[in-house]
Amino acid sequence: MGEVQWPWQYSFPPFFTIQPNAETRKKQLEAWRTLLLEYCRTQKVCVIDVREGDRLSVFNNAVISRKLSPEAITIVLEALQRTGNAEPLDKSRTRWHVYWHTLDEWASIVYKWAQDNAMLNTVCTFYEIANDSGDLNGIDDGVLTKALRVLERRQQAEILTLEGGSGVKFFA
Amino acid sequence: MRRRAGVGAIQKQKLEQEKYKDKGTVIQENQFEQMTKQLEVFRANLEEFATKYKNEIKKNSQFRRQFQEMCASIGVDPLSSGKGFWSVLGIGDFYYELAVQIVEVCMATSYKNGGIIGLDELRDRLIKARGRNVQHQEITLDDLLSAAKKLKIFGNGFCMIPVGKGQYMVQSVPGELSMDQTAVLKLLSSSGNAYITFSSLKDQLNWEATRAANAINQMVAEGLCWVDGQNDCEISYWFPSMFTECISS
Repeated sequence: MGEVQWPWQYSFPPFFTIQPNAETRKKQLEAWRTLLLEYCRTQKVCVIDVREGDRLSVFNNAVISRKLSPEAITIVLEALQRTGNAEPLDKSRTRWHVYWHTLDEWASIVYKWAQDNAMLNTVCTFYEIANDSGDLNGIDDGVLTKALRVLERRQQAEILTLEGGSGVKFFA
Repeated sequence: MRRRAGVGAIQKQKLEQEKYKDKGTVIQENQFEQMTKQLEVFRANLEEFATKYKNEIKKNSQFRRQFQEMCASIGVDPLSSGKGFWSVLGIGDFYYELAVQIVEVCMATSYKNGGIIGLDELRDRLIKARGRNVQHQEITLDDLLSAAKKLKIFGNGFCMIPVGKGQYMVQSVPGELSMDQTAVLKLLSSSGNAYITFSSLKDQLNWEATRAANAINQMVAEGLCWVDGQNDCEISYWFPSMFTECISS
């Protein structure tokens, strides 16, 4: 996993307080969106639990002793949801999936992977996909399933239940 | 026996006056002629000087400043005249170009600093933006001040705020800062901090809470500063335009 390149805002104390001014808040949430997606992409974080947010360094800058509160994390995630980059996993909105690629993009990436690796019309396991050396490396099973559902709707794949795990068949 | 004034005396007096007048006109004309000649010589020399050192003026910041000072002391403003013989100089062009670049930098950074920027940061960014091929054109803070002054004609959307110790901030959002807000900026600039609290305003400017709140809340509303609710005991207000990491990012 690579080092995170923190933007200047990360060391700016008020960045960890949701801003009262609408204009400023808009800039703040936009900066959070960019930062969080970049963080999740480089650190391979797919699931975020709002209650345990301060365990992630992105939400907790010990150097300046500032944390993003669970309420504030929810606000940030809701901003991500509006652009299709996050989705709550439960009704209480405590656990979230974060997509640094939107599901549509993930679906296309997976299908392209299948094309490039000559996996069309054969069955492969989730494990194979997540062990790819490229973008797909370490992809969360849940996110992968959702991406494959998109492919199912496009009639480009079908999810199969295999012994000891899930698999997928891609159609040409 | 006292001699009475006669017609002869009056006529004599009249004649004398006329002679004086004539002489006066002649002298005046002479002086005017000389003056015109002198001015012409001066103009020619200045023009020659300007053409000869045009490149030097553009390139050398110190030379440029001395030239500016000289012009100021004889009461000409090479910036104000785009027409006439000053146009051969292109000095005006130099500053107009600079002014446009100042506006560009301000607009490019306003999304993060809310529309106020320190003159030093402005200079750094501007020099970067001008690129390598003109790196010999060293830009001084004096140049920026001269150029930015020209932007005043666009109204109060653009102004230089002196914050003490020869430091300036450039404000590029419409709406003037109040005296109190300027005082806040001055305090920040002299303290070297990027944040302020109500109690620091009370301690250093002797402001009542309402006065401090008025000034600060307005600056929050204008997007000039951010609110930090996680400071030890009281809320602090942070200015990105003063925050080192933001300035150098």
